[in-house]
Amino acid sequence: MNKERFIKELRSAIAKIPKEEQLKILQDYEEYFQMGQLDGKSEEEMTVALGNPKLIGKELVATYQIEKVEKNTSIGNFLKATWMVIGLGFFNLVIVLGPFLVIASLLLASWGVGIGFAAAPFVVLVNVAIYPEVFLLFDLFNSLVLCGLGLFIIIASYGMTKVCMRGFIRYLKYNTKLVKGGLEHA
Amino acid sequence: MNVQFKKGVLNLCVLVLLDKQDHYGYELVQKISDQISISEGSVYPLLRRLTKEGYFTTYLKESTEGPPRKYYQLTELGRSYLDEQLVEWEKFTRGVNALIEEGRHE
Repeated sequence: MNKERFIKELRSAIAKIPKEEQLKILQDYEEYFQMGQLDGKSEEEMTVALGNPKLIGKELVATYQIEKVEKNTSIGNFLKATWMVIGLGFFNLVIVLGPFLVIASLLLASWGVGIGFAAAPFVVLVNVAIYPEVFLLFDLFNSLVLCGLGLFIIIASYGMTKVCMRGFIRYLKYNTKLVKGGLEHA
Repeated sequence: MNVQFKKGVLNLCVLVLLDKQDHYGYELVQKISDQISISEGSVYPLLRRLTKEGYFTTYLKESTEGPPRKYYQLTELGRSYLDEQLVEWEKFTRGVNALIEEGRHE
């Protein structure tokens, strides 16, 4: 591989990173090639020593995505970062996707129950509208209790979702470090 | 040696080198690859990450030959991070050495 090809592959691997940042990254490698040339190395030797540009790119993109979630936690960013960390290797498919699915489904269930309970009085009202003759005060009271309970569950779900997302970001960071070398946590 | 393991060690190597004096990227890469075989391209992402985490600052300096060089300098935060990492490393190697010794005597 020559220099041009290396730079080209790296550039396409980091296309997701903002332009400014891309330029800085590419500059680092340009510098490397220039210095290497002064040392009398051939482009071929240097690209072999550098390693696979696609892998280098992947690592850079994963680091970038995690940084972005830390600054701005939106669901979209969060999913992207999760996906990138999974992309770092098969190992992560199991280690990251597993807990992610478990936690996500538990949270979803909790939201579902909360919203379902909260909606109970409406269901009673609909029932009354359709069958005015079977209106029971008992149903209404019950549904109001459920509604209150549902609201509490919704509040709890919201809190849990936030905590889980924050925790999961930490877990993602830990994972990239693990993939990069788990020594820090050994 | 295992690639992932090496990358962890790479962190420590960069920190140790910068503790002595400031270096530019290429110089760091050469110093490390003189001692251990690494894929040299992975040093730059590491430098970027550690810089963003506040462990290094960078500055440009003209050189007599070639383009201006980007030097990396260890910050106070970086120095305390290095200390932590060194303790971890010593604990780790002591453990591994103990296991190797045990294996020999059995």
